[in-house]
Amino acid sequence: MRDKATTLYIGPQHPGITGNMMVKVQVEGDTIIKARTEVGYLHRAFEKLQERRNWLQSFTLLCRFCVPEPDPVEESYARAVEMLEGREVPERAKYIRVLMLELARMGSYLLWYGGQNGSLGLYTMGQWSVGDRNYILDLFEELTGGRIYHMYIWPGGVRRDLPEGFTDKVLRTMDYFEKRLKDYDDLMFTNTIFQKRTQGVGVISKEKAVEWGVVGPVLRGCGIKSDIRIDDPYEIYDQLDFEVPTAEGGDIWARALVRRAEIRQSIRIIRQVIEKMPSGEIYNKIPNPLKWALPKGDAYARTEATRGEIGMYIVSDGTVNPRRTHLRGAAYVHGVSLLEDLLVGENVADISAIMNSLGTCPPEIER
Amino acid sequence: MKELKENIIQRLKTNFADAVAGSEFSYNRVDVHVKKETIPSILFYLKEEMGYVHLSHISCVDWLEEGEFELVFIVWSPVDKVKVFVKTRLDRENPVLENIDMIWRQANTYEREFREMFGIQFTGLVAPDEFILEDWQGPPPFRRDFDTAEYAKKTFWNRPGREDAQDVRETISGRDGEEIPDFAKKYSR
Repeated sequence: MRDKATTLYIGPQHPGITGNMMVKVQVEGDTIIKARTEVGYLHRAFEKLQERRNWLQSFTLLCRFCVPEPDPVEESYARAVEMLEGREVPERAKYIRVLMLELARMGSYLLWYGGQNGSLGLYTMGQWSVGDRNYILDLFEELTGGRIYHMYIWPGGVRRDLPEGFTDKVLRTMDYFEKRLKDYDDLMFTNTIFQKRTQGVGVISKEKAVEWGVVGPVLRGCGIKSDIRIDDPYEIYDQLDFEVPTAEGGDIWARALVRRAEIRQSIRIIRQVIEKMPSGEIYNKIPNPLKWALPKGDAYARTEATRGEIGMYIVSDGTVNPRRTHLRGAAYVHGVSLLEDLLVGENVADISAIMNSLGTCPPEIER
Repeated sequence: MKELKENIIQRLKTNFADAVAGSEFSYNRVDVHVKKETIPSILFYLKEEMGYVHLSHISCVDWLEEGEFELVFIVWSPVDKVKVFVKTRLDRENPVLENIDMIWRQANTYEREFREMFGIQFTGLVAPDEFILEDWQGPPPFRRDFDTAEYAKKTFWNRPGREDAQDVRETISGRDGEEIPDFAKKYSR
């Protein structure tokens, strides 16, 4: 039978609305018998460029590591720098950071709604959710000046305080989403096509998930309760009340259920943050960035992003430039060798749905 | 937490003679330095015997001046809630380390990247030769002695009229006879 296999090249033009990468598959009929991922279309050598920049100049690159969710990368870098230097962050800034991170989580999930459904041919969902995401981007624009890339969370705190009336706008947006998410359920989760295309597809067993170092909603979709916000809390997550949703099955459907529940938890967190937010300083000023040398040493800070663990490992040799910065991305683990393994035995039409459900983000794999 | 961290170090020191504790950190982090030969066994021990089941990150740092690469393995225990940083140094002239992707499968991707970007060889690594780069003939580009600016100068060239230190307005004006507007004249060199 092997000699009847055909080789197909999926990509490199955004296979499944994730970014440029290629999946080379051998198929028999429409069943995949071998898959190989090929990356290299987006490498920008950000980490090498950062070696020539000072600690603050890196921020223009950091937000571009992964387009759908730039904020967790900024936050983990800023926190790693603070760890290394021993810089305190004002309490209010921590609350604003969490507000920002959760809004970013919602924005990223809304984009995922579009990508996941688009990969199955259900385009209406994407038009709704990407349209609704604009309400979150509007908030970002008012707060930071940028819709997608913010460069707002930086070492020592955040760049500016909340504008007047901003929290009311956030609360109104949350009210809107609480109502609106019901429409999403009607269109997506009760949709027979979505159920049939996702249940039992791209299954990861519990054992395999641990062995492969799977993280985030993909791990929680295997029934394992793991969330950095709870396990290794940062900022003020330990003072907040929220749940870590899990689902059984390890398939695309289970991962979708986890994400569906998480977007509701984000709304819950945002409401608490606004209620509890103290007044006060938002920024512990750093010295002149051109002369700002960090002490010798290294630090690793990690954040729970929508795709899982995102971390930043930084090394300083005591000068004004980093010796090394290295991003730990969830897609790096999910999107290369795990994907190759997972695709074997699946239908060729499900490739992009599986890629989307894993949170594959090629710009993060290559950086 | 302090007691737990001391226990971890003590246990590793007892089982691995070359393990040396690194600097102390106030938060949930423990540093251990070992020889490169110990890496597979200490990581296996941490995972199987001590519950450090999650490989959070692997990083490589080029210490050019010291003639060494430093590899850092960050592992996490969901029970202890501690991160252990296992560090080792490789000779820059002949950087070879044993492959560990049988302990954590995702290490395979990291090793492919370090092989390509730093020129570190992993014995026993089974993976295609190319990862990110294509037909790359030069030295590993993430090494500190690889000069990116010099490489760009050698490999790429400026379009005619866009050479460095050339005023684009003057070039266009010279070529097409267009007059430079008054507001722009003050910027001309």
